[in-house]
Amino acid sequence: MTDIGLAALAEDPAESRRRARIARARKAKLASLFKHVVLPVLTALAVLLLWEAAVDFNNIPKVILPAPSDIAERIWSIRNLLYANAISTTTEAVAGFAIATTLGIVLAASLVYSSWLRAALYPNIVFFQLIPKIALAPLFIVWLGIGAESRLTFAVFISFFPVVIATITGLTNVPGDMLRLCRGLTASNWQIFWAVRFPYALPHVFSGMKIAITFAIIGVVVGEFITANKGLGYLIMFASSMAETTTILAAIAVLCAIGLTLFGFVTLAEKLVLKAYGHKAA
Amino acid sequence: MADPRFIRVRDVAKTYVAGATEVEAVARVAFDVAEGQFVSILGPSGCGKSTLLMMCAGLEPASDGTIEIAGRPVVGPRREFGLIFQDATLLPWKSSLENVLFPIRMMKRDPAQYRERAEALLGQVGLGDFLHKRPSELSGGMRQRVAICRALIHDPELLMMDEPFSALDAITRDEMNEALARIWETQRKTGLFVTHSIREAVFLADRVLVMSGRPSTIALDFQVRFARPRDPALVETPEFAKICAMLKRTIEAGYARSGRSAA
Ligand SMILES: Nc1ncnc2c1ncn2[C@@H]1O[C@H](COP(=O)(O)OP(=O)(O)O)[C@@H](O)[C@H]1O
Ligand SMILES: [Mg+2]
Repeated sequence: MTDIGLAALAEDPAESRRRARIARARKAKLASLFKHVVLPVLTALAVLLLWEAAVDFNNIPKVILPAPSDIAERIWSIRNLLYANAISTTTEAVAGFAIATTLGIVLAASLVYSSWLRAALYPNIVFFQLIPKIALAPLFIVWLGIGAESRLTFAVFISFFPVVIATITGLTNVPGDMLRLCRGLTASNWQIFWAVRFPYALPHVFSGMKIAITFAIIGVVVGEFITANKGLGYLIMFASSMAETTTILAAIAVLCAIGLTLFGFVTLAEKLVLKAYGHKAA
Repeated sequence: MADPRFIRVRDVAKTYVAGATEVEAVARVAFDVAEGQFVSILGPSGCGKSTLLMMCAGLEPASDGTIEIAGRPVVGPRREFGLIFQDATLLPWKSSLENVLFPIRMMKRDPAQYRERAEALLGQVGLGDFLHKRPSELSGGMRQRVAICRALIHDPELLMMDEPFSALDAITRDEMNEALARIWETQRKTGLFVTHSIREAVFLADRVLVMSGRPSTIALDFQVRFARPRDPALVETPEFAKICAMLKRTIEAGYARSGRSAA
């Protein structure tokens, strides 16, 4: 019975065409996976190997450039030190990001709803975007001392502008007829904000947040450089004063991992939220 | 019992001022609409049809003149109005049913009490199987049908439609006209229907107002006396064609006139 059924299936030309189509699709998917995931990873590995080989081959002193294997070893041997400082850096960066996002959205909403506030502030915000804000970091120490407040405030300060600007763009991006419909129903501004404007703005809000998380880390590390009190940035400065290049690079590697992870979380949140709201993937 | 002057538009004019430039969109328009009447407002693109409709809806202030609806001057939007625009403007993250119930939420009423009505309306326009689909899963015509149901959900007294089918292809457009005509028979609201399609204007309306080119006035006020309910085959009759041809000539004459006065 089964044999006959299978034979009949195999002979059905539509069925075999369908199977060929599926096989082709699977092959295309594999090819795409190779091109977009495997290839970049292989490239990165090749660079690390080349680096390792170049350092070995030319006997480059560790103070100038340690090999990746030296860095890996160092990460392991000072893991407790790295861990304590990484926690401090991560906590401050996440806190700075959260505050910047909240403040940024609130300010953007106020600017969208008040034409006077917008006229007064928006040009200045855009202008502020153009200032190299890192140059202002030492001022925060003068005002707030060398503690966490200083680093946190500076992180908020530099990561808040992208959120404001992106959110304003998003909130003003709602189709005019949609707003007309709401006004026609005599909905309040508060209702329109939560039911329409904010959900419409989400793709922009998230693109601002992705910049903000990166800036928040930069802000905290710069803060650590100059407050010289704790965190991975402080560890880097301290190690550089002792010419401990391997430790510097170990701290940088951990910083990279933190940056990637935090960015990954924001991107994941973006994917889930935008999907729930039926927005096209950004 | 029907109020013969449900809508009273008296010498309404609109000039948009943007910085130093002024656009005189509507020059001087006056007409009445009886309760329960469906009126098409027909005119070339840019002649001020949307402007006139938005003034009636209370969404755009008139520069001059007065509009009264249901005996009260229009000073702002009212919940007794239902609006339909050229794009369906549905919320992409909500199902058809939720989109239809959207006005209920905005009016802070209980959606549960309107759910049955929403389902019935969607069923009436042939979307009974699409209650829980999102707009991205619907065709353009289906989305606009959801928008029609949304405009009707709170049982408004007056339905205002601004070129609701202009973005659709010709075949879908005919289907939509028939769907609107059908739902109209059951709901019988007063209707203002803006369009630049002559066929559509005549097929749907009890009366067609033709607007001249900008700055616009009413060039012609024409009663359409075809019996209701209207059969889709009506559009193929010679009488229908004759009326359309006459309206077309009127619009072209209006163009010529405004062209001369502008020169
Ligand atoms: N908000 C506005 N500001 C300035 N001019 C406008 C505005 N809205 C419409 N207009 C102008 O008014 C005229 C009539 O527009 P509209 O009422 O949209 O015409 P229609 O709907 O008949 O195409 C057009 O010339 C248009 O450019
Ligand atoms: Mg228009």
